[in-house]
Amino acid sequence: MRAELVLMGKRINMTSRRRRRSLVVAVYAAMTAIAVAGWMIDRWHSTGSWLIWVALASCWLFFGGHYSRGLVKQFNGKGPRNADAMPNYLQLLFGVYRLPPDESEYRNDERELRERDRAHYQAYQGLGLGLAVLWLPALWLVSKPQWLAHTSFQLDQAVYGMIVVCFLLYTTLPQAILLWTEPDMEEDG
Amino acid sequence: MQDNGSRSTALGESGLFNRIGVLRAERGISRQELADAVGVNYQTIGFLERGDYGPSLKLAFQIGDYFGLPVEAIFSTTPFQPLSQQVYGASRLSAARRTEPDTEESK
Repeated sequence: MRAELVLMGKRINMTSRRRRRSLVVAVYAAMTAIAVAGWMIDRWHSTGSWLIWVALASCWLFFGGHYSRGLVKQFNGKGPRNADAMPNYLQLLFGVYRLPPDESEYRNDERELRERDRAHYQAYQGLGLGLAVLWLPALWLVSKPQWLAHTSFQLDQAVYGMIVVCFLLYTTLPQAILLWTEPDMEEDG
Repeated sequence: MQDNGSRSTALGESGLFNRIGVLRAERGISRQELADAVGVNYQTIGFLERGDYGPSLKLAFQIGDYFGLPVEAIFSTTPFQPLSQQVYGASRLSAARRTEPDTEESK
């Protein structure tokens, strides 16, 4: 995990677990607010895609995991695109090239890989349960039981909403667990 | 930071005791230097020192190679004796052994 969050060129120290937890709470609170607003506007028919973009943007800006930015290093351990690129002659001549990042900046070591796997396990255990719960309304959606026809409950909306929520959690929950559980980072001593 | 003679009691979650902190202090090596040498994050060295993380066999050997010590001198499932006790205890024992034949002869 990275110790600093770079936002609009500013470096924010995130070594403290309390700060990381505050960030997780703030991001999920913002997502919940947008989700509630979207549901009230049009039951997520068009605003559902906003939520997906918000989840991806929060990973890109804050959480990381899927991108080379953010606090959590990229899960697949790949470096940024320019990591292995050598500067060409013109770049060298004018001195306009960026040094490749240190490997420890983007590659997870064995402990970080273990933590990554644990976080995914915990996140997907919960999501698996969510999908199991989703199965029942999905079944009703297919079989259309008589008793449901007499209620005003919009089953397709509920299923769609649950799928969106599952996608949001799939995208962000492993990183959130990592940010929440990793202890305060120590100074190099 | 542990002093050189202290007993390593860092059992942590890993169930392993280790002397990484002692060895680092003894040789004046920072966590970052050790981490760079063995190819891990410096935070991981902290987790190892506190016993919160049990290293892979590869990492344990890398750390052993770095310090020029066998793995069992750095990691153990039982608490380490303080270094002072090990060094002076051993020299006292060998001194006692050296004097033993003389005492028998005198008898």
